[in-house]
Amino acid sequence: MIKKTALSQGIIRCHDCGQLAPIYDEFIACSRCGKQLHARLPQSSQRTLALLLSSYALYIPANVFPIMTYTRFGVGEPHNIIGGIISLIHGDMLPIALLVLVASILVPLMKLLGLSLLLLCVHYRWQVKAQHWTKTYRIIAFVGRWSMLDIFMISILVSVVNLGGVAQVIAGTASTAFAAVVVLTMFAAKSFDPRLIWDVQA
Amino acid sequence: MTIMNISNYLACPECDLLLRQVIFQKGETAHCPRCQYLLRCPKNESILHTFVLSLTGLFLLVPANILPIMSIKVLGNTQAGTLWGGVITLFNEGMWGVAIVVFLASMLFPILSILLSLIISAHLYFNHYNPLLSLSLRVLNHIEEWAMLEVYLIGIIVASVKLSSMSELKFGLGLNAFVLLLIVSIMLSSHFDSALFWQKIDQLKSKKRPLTDHND
Repeated sequence: MIKKTALSQGIIRCHDCGQLAPIYDEFIACSRCGKQLHARLPQSSQRTLALLLSSYALYIPANVFPIMTYTRFGVGEPHNIIGGIISLIHGDMLPIALLVLVASILVPLMKLLGLSLLLLCVHYRWQVKAQHWTKTYRIIAFVGRWSMLDIFMISILVSVVNLGGVAQVIAGTASTAFAAVVVLTMFAAKSFDPRLIWDVQA
Repeated sequence: MTIMNISNYLACPECDLLLRQVIFQKGETAHCPRCQYLLRCPKNESILHTFVLSLTGLFLLVPANILPIMSIKVLGNTQAGTLWGGVITLFNEGMWGVAIVVFLASMLFPILSILLSLIISAHLYFNHYNPLLSLSLRVLNHIEEWAMLEVYLIGIIVASVKLSSMSELKFGLGLNAFVLLLIVSIMLSSHFDSALFWQKIDQLKSKKRPLTDHND
């Protein structure tokens, strides 16, 4: 069985509703849903690269600066992400510490590296097992949202622990940077078109 | 190239393989033979279930967002935390960027996706055509990924583990509503068959056309 891509047969697929259209309809609105038709996501690599570089830049402040401060009777010191994990380990809460480690350090890092590899693969036309790379892309797109865990945890903590001088949790600078990393990498994953991996295979 | 009827075909969104369209039975799933992408997964009574579930979700929205999720007691002072309270506190602390992201991901997008699911499924169930249907369905498909209630629940769990060692912790009524809302929205996304919704919109549109321009 010869496997043909839709594009090689002069057919393009609407990104939003999946309806097929002939290639000469490119750049006009889809007849069913009104979304502009494109053969591939427009400027996919460039957009992904731009978002990815911004995420790399923000990943540094996100990990260096304090993400939150817990004060009791006015005393307390700021924690960064790693500090929070270490204090969980000291509090004998290893499973939770592992969960936070995976969600806020490993997942963003793997996402950044994974998307970089996908971009390199497309740019240098690496001949790879495209199924595996598509699967990698799918995992990256799926796990991205779970990094928001730390941000949501801070949000609920600042709302609960808000007793003025007695006890208070204050969000730190890194939380903005970290939230931006998560959102930007999600956008990066969304703007990457996995069909490009298949296009560059000989 | 021979002229072919493209409505008999479908293309895989992740590897662009051109495939022949087949009629799916309920309960069957179709994977792309080349990249294993889940192409179609028809659901039983998808429109009715979406309608009922989003109606249920509608009643849970307000309690989940306003009622206290949990409260702590430190030296006789109690303080309760809510979803909305977290957003406000972050905003007041000058963390407006984080506040906006939290607001969008845990409040606005879940609310919007339930409202849009309700509106779209009600229209399709009662066979009402509205020119805004396709736009609504497009918006719904895009915001679904940004509604992160399940991640928020894990955030609540981590926060309560952190707090349990520091003070007395009590869970509030809001947490029940929140968990129910989460269950409803997970069921909603598993009963939602977007291909079927598009087909139905197409049908309604073509039924509508002879009425509007009967000169053809």
